[in-house]
Amino acid sequence: MSSGLILKDFLIFSPVIILTIWGLLSLILDLTVLANADSDTRNRGLGMFTLLGLVGSLVLCQYLAFDVIGPAPGKDSRIFSGTLNGGLLYSQFASLVLLFAILVCCLSMVWSFTTHWGEYYAMLMWSAISMIILVAAEDLLTLFLSLETMTICLYLMTAMEKSKRRSAEAGLKYFVYGSVSSALFLFGLSLVYGQTGSTSIESIGHVLSTTEKPGLTGNVAGGVAVLLIMVGFGFKISAVPFHQWAPDAYEGAPAPVAAWLASGSKLASLVAMVKVMGGALGTWAVTSSPTSPGWVGLMAMISAATMTYGNFTALGQTNLKRLLAYSSIAHAGYMLIGVIAVGISERREEAAAALFFYLVIYGLTTIAGFALATWIDRDRGSEAVDNLNGLGRKHPYIGVAVCILMLSMIGIPPTAGFFGKLYMFMEALNVGGADRVTMIGLVALGLFNSVVSAFYYIRILKAMFLRDSDQANLRGLGPELALPLFVGSALTLLFGLRPAALLEDMEQISMSGLTFAQKADDQMSASAAITPVVLPVRQLPISIPTETKPATPATGN
Amino acid sequence: MSQQIPLTWFLYFASAAFAIGLMGVLMRRNAIGVLMAIEIMLNAANINFIAFWRYGDAPAGEGPLTGVMMALFVVTIAAAEVAVGVGLILLCYRRWRVADVDEFDTLSG
Amino acid sequence: MIQALFIALSAFGLFMALGTVFARNLVHAALYLVAFFFVVACQFVLLEAEFMAAIQVLIYIGAVAVLLMFGIMLTRNITGDETTIVTGQWRLLGIGVAGAVMIVLFLGINGFKPWTDLGVRPEFPVTAESTTPRGQAILAMTPTVGREMMTRYVVPFELAGLLLTAALVGAVVLAQYDRTDETSAAAESPQP
Repeated sequence: MSSGLILKDFLIFSPVIILTIWGLLSLILDLTVLANADSDTRNRGLGMFTLLGLVGSLVLCQYLAFDVIGPAPGKDSRIFSGTLNGGLLYSQFASLVLLFAILVCCLSMVWSFTTHWGEYYAMLMWSAISMIILVAAEDLLTLFLSLETMTICLYLMTAMEKSKRRSAEAGLKYFVYGSVSSALFLFGLSLVYGQTGSTSIESIGHVLSTTEKPGLTGNVAGGVAVLLIMVGFGFKISAVPFHQWAPDAYEGAPAPVAAWLASGSKLASLVAMVKVMGGALGTWAVTSSPTSPGWVGLMAMISAATMTYGNFTALGQTNLKRLLAYSSIAHAGYMLIGVIAVGISERREEAAAALFFYLVIYGLTTIAGFALATWIDRDRGSEAVDNLNGLGRKHPYIGVAVCILMLSMIGIPPTAGFFGKLYMFMEALNVGGADRVTMIGLVALGLFNSVVSAFYYIRILKAMFLRDSDQANLRGLGPELALPLFVGSALTLLFGLRPAALLEDMEQISMSGLTFAQKADDQMSASAAITPVVLPVRQLPISIPTETKPATPATGN
Repeated sequence: MSQQIPLTWFLYFASAAFAIGLMGVLMRRNAIGVLMAIEIMLNAANINFIAFWRYGDAPAGEGPLTGVMMALFVVTIAAAEVAVGVGLILLCYRRWRVADVDEFDTLSG
Repeated sequence: MIQALFIALSAFGLFMALGTVFARNLVHAALYLVAFFFVVACQFVLLEAEFMAAIQVLIYIGAVAVLLMFGIMLTRNITGDETTIVTGQWRLLGIGVAGAVMIVLFLGINGFKPWTDLGVRPEFPVTAESTTPRGQAILAMTPTVGREMMTRYVVPFELAGLLLTAALVGAVVLAQYDRTDETSAAAESPQP
């Protein structure tokens, strides 16, 4: 039976509640105080107001994390009768989402691409809220509802640049693909509910791991359910072959919204994916017999296709936003390797932590990359990469920042992108059992793709440093653009020099927040006992220049 | 009375409706047509939820109405989705004067 | 008897769904869709979820269908002709994919033993002395739904409110006519 409401749950949840009301207030302010102001003034005013709310919620989250929630591993940290996580997973990922939202909010104040500012900032805050709830959801109902709320807010934000046709087109394309995928996803959820009788992620994992047949042997309905759920998540994180909306939506959306699509929504969807695929459906991951490959095989194919397609298509792009879109597709491919590792590794928590590390770094670099796109969008009105010609020499600080970002996206030390890839690939190589060969192949493909990706990232750098500009100067960055760009690159460098700090935080989160079915772990260690191959990796507080990359030694302590 | 209908019959109906909805999504060029097909798919999932709820056990600690609550919130989502979808279609229609998905051509994709 | 009713109802419902997908005229398609929604409501009644049936009629038929109808009328694409539906190879592809999905789903349902065994639904007798929560929920669904929404599902409930607010606000923004709107087809040059 469900117990009643507990006041403390609302206290833990207060950042979200405050932000919801803040969104309504921004609508009201737009219609009252700022009713007669011009678009730029309203943008500034409401942007500052939103920033205040976001920063306030972020501070509150951190306060709660230290004072109310506390790092209490082992304790059941779920709130609201077990439908939401109220522990570190919630507070830390909420802080991250809010950090991304703050950076996106700064970008939004750069220039007035719409006239509906109250609604725009309300949508920004509400989509941030749904991302927070999505990350914290422990119940399929909450998960699906927050996923939908998030995407509906994002459709609206995409289409809000009403002075341009392509914005409306991008919104409609995103909407059609997104709603079809969520219908498929929902049908998959209904089949899972039918097989387990439950919507709670933990009990689904429990039920599936205690049924007599391991894996998906002879269970066609379960296979279909997994397939449909993967289609749903694949759309949200733009994995091939469900990626068609992404380049169009990113190109058509205003640059700040594209940054939000690429960072916040991908972060939240991937964390939810780890929970559902790893936590609830983890038992169905493994290859139990030749006739039932589990979802690992399929996911491996998707991952390989996603990174290869994303990187090779990005090579030919001339539009910066489209290039970043394909790069974000490619990164989704790398992240899927991490998801697979979470599904079948013995060290699931560590694998999840490595994936989260990668996600954080990816989000920061992507927002900073879109800051660059916002800049040329504002001053040149087009996003062609040629617009960056010569900027590196005229603005050396920006040049250095972009240089760090691009190195991080390729995965070259001493940036954090390198350690993200390193940790994730190490966890993938750590997998034992029948799927070990698959993982080695995937990691090899990932490394090859990183090399390919270097070509287009370096093209941006080449344009910035080696070419001469034939056009008028861009205006200076201004604080709104400088903040995301420099915060993004500074954090990328900082976590590259001290990756252990972030990794430990992520490990704490995944240890305390993720629930994996226990019996599945037993099966896993049994299968690993047959093939006892465990690489001696991962006492890394980082000193190992490993076999995966020619790392420079002495990066950090 | 109604106890004589087996669970699988409801599931067959839902699967068939789901497949028809998928067919509509694949075949319709008009955006509103696609939207209608999506509604069929959501309804199919709702039938599944309620059938599984009625025929299955209530798991401990999750209240007696899991499937029904899920279906109820799906109805809410569907309503919101249609509102936004029709808004987007109108927006595009004002710009292109058509409502067919493949007529929109600004973005190369 | 009840089985015959179910089969007749389901056949009618599937026929209406096919009509929704294949009708050239979108208004006809929307009317077929209304009939399909009504059949789904009847299925809910057969599943003893009368509350859901009422919700289905009120929201799907009362709101969603009307909204869709507005959309069709405002975009004037009602005559449809050949343009609302793909032809030739694409049509075959759509039918093929849907048929394959349906066959796989049927196989899945047939092959999952716990489902095929459930020929009879569990009984939850409600007497004066003993009531199970499930029996109570089936007998009086509305108060139970209300209680659930205010306890276990309070966050989804509030989030659904937020979702509807966002959708309403957003739909108004999109459908509103601005001065900055670009209405003519040739106003924006194509992107390089």
